[in-house]
Amino acid sequence: MPSRRRALLKVIILGDSGVGKTSLMNQYVNKKFSNQYKATIGADFLTKEVHFEDRLFTLQIWDTAGQERFQSLGVAFYRGADCCVLVYDVNVMKSFDNLNNWREEFLIQASPTDPENFPFVVIGNKTDVDGGNSRVVSEKKARAWCASKGNIPYFETSAKEGTNVEEAFQIIAKNALKNGEEEEIYLPDTIDVGSSSQQRSTGCEC
Amino acid sequence: MIADGVEDEEKWLSAGIAGLQQNAFYMHRALDSNNLKDALKYSAQMLSELRTSRLSPHKYYELYMRAFDELRKLEIFFKEETSRGCSIVELYELVQHAGNILPRLYLLCTVGSVYIKSKEAPAKDVLKDLVEMCRGIQHPLRGLFLRSYLSQVSRDKLPDIGSEYEGDADTVMDAVEFVIQNFTEMNKLWVRMQQQGPAREKEKRGKERSELRDLVGKNLHVLSQIEGVDLEMYKEIVLPRVLEQVVNCKDDLAQYYLMDCIIQVFPDEYHLQTLETLLNACPQLQASVDVKTVLARLMERLSNYAASGAEVLPEFFQVEAFAKLNNAIGKVIEAQENMPIAGVVTLYASLLTFTLQVHPDRLDYVDQILGACVKKLSGREKLDDSKATKQIVALLSAPLEKYKDIDTALKLSNYPRIMEYLSDGTHKEMANVIVQNIMKNKTCISTAEKVDALFELIKGLIRDLDGDSQDELDEDFIEEQNYVARLIQMLHSDDPEEMLKIIQTVRKHILTGGRKRLPYTVPPLIFSSLKLVRRLEGQDESVSGDEASTTPKKIFQLVTQTIEALTSIPVPELALGLYLQCAEAANDCDLEPVAYEFFTQAYILYEEEITDSKTQVTSIHLIIGTLQRMHVFGVENRDALTHKATGYSAKLLKKPDQCRAVYACSHLFWLDDHDSIRDGERVLLCLKRALRIANAVQQMSNATRGSSGSALLFIEILNKYLYFYEKGVSQVTVESIQDLIKLIRNEMQGETSPSDPAADAFLASTLRYIQFQKDKGGAVGDKYKLIIV
Ligand SMILES: Nc1nc2c(ncn2[C@@H]2O[C@H](COP(=O)(O)OP(=O)(O)O)[C@@H](O)[C@H]2O)c(=O)[nH]1
Ligand SMILES: [Mg+2]
Repeated sequence: MPSRRRALLKVIILGDSGVGKTSLMNQYVNKKFSNQYKATIGADFLTKEVHFEDRLFTLQIWDTAGQERFQSLGVAFYRGADCCVLVYDVNVMKSFDNLNNWREEFLIQASPTDPENFPFVVIGNKTDVDGGNSRVVSEKKARAWCASKGNIPYFETSAKEGTNVEEAFQIIAKNALKNGEEEEIYLPDTIDVGSSSQQRSTGCEC
Repeated sequence: MIADGVEDEEKWLSAGIAGLQQNAFYMHRALDSNNLKDALKYSAQMLSELRTSRLSPHKYYELYMRAFDELRKLEIFFKEETSRGCSIVELYELVQHAGNILPRLYLLCTVGSVYIKSKEAPAKDVLKDLVEMCRGIQHPLRGLFLRSYLSQVSRDKLPDIGSEYEGDADTVMDAVEFVIQNFTEMNKLWVRMQQQGPAREKEKRGKERSELRDLVGKNLHVLSQIEGVDLEMYKEIVLPRVLEQVVNCKDDLAQYYLMDCIIQVFPDEYHLQTLETLLNACPQLQASVDVKTVLARLMERLSNYAASGAEVLPEFFQVEAFAKLNNAIGKVIEAQENMPIAGVVTLYASLLTFTLQVHPDRLDYVDQILGACVKKLSGREKLDDSKATKQIVALLSAPLEKYKDIDTALKLSNYPRIMEYLSDGTHKEMANVIVQNIMKNKTCISTAEKVDALFELIKGLIRDLDGDSQDELDEDFIEEQNYVARLIQMLHSDDPEEMLKIIQTVRKHILTGGRKRLPYTVPPLIFSSLKLVRRLEGQDESVSGDEASTTPKKIFQLVTQTIEALTSIPVPELALGLYLQCAEAANDCDLEPVAYEFFTQAYILYEEEITDSKTQVTSIHLIIGTLQRMHVFGVENRDALTHKATGYSAKLLKKPDQCRAVYACSHLFWLDDHDSIRDGERVLLCLKRALRIANAVQQMSNATRGSSGSALLFIEILNKYLYFYEKGVSQVTVESIQDLIKLIRNEMQGETSPSDPAADAFLASTLRYIQFQKDKGGAVGDKYKLIIV
């Protein structure tokens, strides 16, 4: 029974708007990249099958809108996440400073059973820009932050050139799998479920 | 029928989740035992929980997400079933037996997703079927979520170019058609929601609709992600169809939000190439739509794009983006008569930012925008609306930031005209921004005309505008005036004549500044004038000989009149200092009468205005110091001035002050670099007089306190003796020095003398100096060896 459940791994990508969340997902899933900027609305996911230790898993990768005005329904989709990816742009200090907010917001809203050990992965994206000359967040600084938050794995990527994207998602999948194994199991308190739902619903015919 | 309170809602949600989990549990059991019939039964029961009408969109979304997660497991099961030989077509039929329509459609979409994957039927047919079937749900909330489910499960199965579900030639079109249809249906449901239910719940419905907006907008995001939607297709099909729906729905909430979505989800290049279509939609929107924010966001986006690199700018020129935007803004402002002025200014500020980014060389465009703004402002009172004010400051700051050069802004004829509409406080704030900008960029303003324009522009700092004449000098005021002072020092022209004009212009402006400002603004102007004098000094007389041209004399006249402005305040000490500075400059120009006149003015101030004894002391030392450096005076003038100076010194109130001023006067009679000023007799007279005063100090001390005072004054005088002795003043003899040292020692060892570490140390170091000079050898050493201590 747990096999079917664990075959699906849910990953949430968070970060400021414009850091490259959508691009990372598209690069990983479709091997495509576009220079054009298109805002994301709400939450959107793509799936990708991954082989791991001779088994097949489906990664369900949720891309999110970084702008609040395109996140009107809230974040109920955080629930049941197996791994959370925090992305920032190595050329924009503010996007790095905001990582902490994104992490905390996730822990509050998703309320995982063991927040201390919930798997995060941090990605510093857009390393290609201007040959690295416009970079403002050093790798050292980023790694120090990751270390201080319980040794979060850290990757530097370029969604544009595809650098390190595959590697990052390998670790994301691996850590999601580790988390997925500890999923809670629901047991019903009564066996009779006959028509309970019928009673609560309204008289509408649909 | 929506729950009354938050608490009730929580209860309904918990109940829904419980029901859902319970059915899911049995569904899992069925899935594990490959029991298709039970799986369908329990999943349908589970999905029945979504039939509730009691939850707000937020809570419903929570419930939906749980069902969504469960359906993924069911989807995997369906896939396994087909690989075990179950026909997908049969499955597609089978799920339609579910009793209630909502669960049935969720199941159908789930199987449909597997169906498409199986490729047993063309994706487009399955999708078409599903999107049609979903019409069965007309309840807005449930319908929106169901369709969003359809959109999500079909997300990676659209028959797009390069996708594995790609069909024939029209393949992208099919995908687009499917998404647009779903979008249209969702928007209709969403709009209809506003019209349903009692009128009193209108506000609540608005809030709920607002929460649901992203479900509708997400379709546009999906459209933008379809690979095959190129510019051509966007222009010909996607945008017109979407706009048609937006305009025709006649719902302000939907229109405002969807316009924003269009702007944000589609790429910049597309917007530029379809600018006209997009802009033409604006006047067709409901009057209550906040079009200005929509347009402002569009321009913001395009400005960022323009900033991304010069290589994209030709795209803007090619489509005449400026003209189109300018035109559209004009129309919107015209159409919305009641638009608050803040809105108008916001629009123009966005357009200005855009223009500065795209057409930095077109000052005429910039001026045109400012002019349009003036037109809207004319006939109004000065602005007191804080939002509008903030926007105007942004509007006026933008050209400064862009050009980093006030020169350019001064060329904009409408710039000062807008400033006229600012309240006095804001006017000042803006003037500060301008001055800071000049400082930061070290802008050189080099013609009188520009200076005139600039000072007119920043008049809020230069003089009291009507009605704000507070008297206290707060910190901000002082800082502001210091900035103005720095600004005055920065004005410069290489051409002396122009520079004089600049000085005259500044003078004209600052003289209106009133008593609070003059002490800050006059000194820099004087120094700037004296700088010009010094520049002329080196020049040949014959070159600057004719009447009209700039001469030091002319400048000195101007300077005199300027300093006179300070007399009414009054700040005599400051004026005295300035006169002395001028005297020195006149000295350097060899203008004896002028220099004498400046001294005279300084003396008059000293005699008539400076009454405070402390100020007298500092002033007299200033006078002595300056006088000592003067070489232009003939004997007569010099005598008159030194005589006065020594007279003032001897009349100071406190004896120690007298003593010090008098021995300082000794320097007036012996100048190292002047053969003509070497009057040893009078040097000695000064020193002796100083000694007498020092003696008197001691006697006074004995009389009033019963102990003698410090020997400090004597030691100071001793140092003067040594100085002049070393210089070779024959009247200062070895004996007189030795006597003085003896006297000092007596004073310090006397029974009534107080212990004074400062005096002890001073004497010790003076004696060390004598020893040091002795050890030096040579002529100086020989001289000092004669002194026996
Ligand atoms: N040069 C470069 N540009 C990138 C990279 N990743 C994303 N971008 C660009 O950054 C912009 C924002 O990317 P997007 O993925 O939409 O960011 P999101 O808002 O976080 O989803 C787009 O214009 C992308 O083309 C990268 O690795 N290198
Ligand atoms: Mg995105």
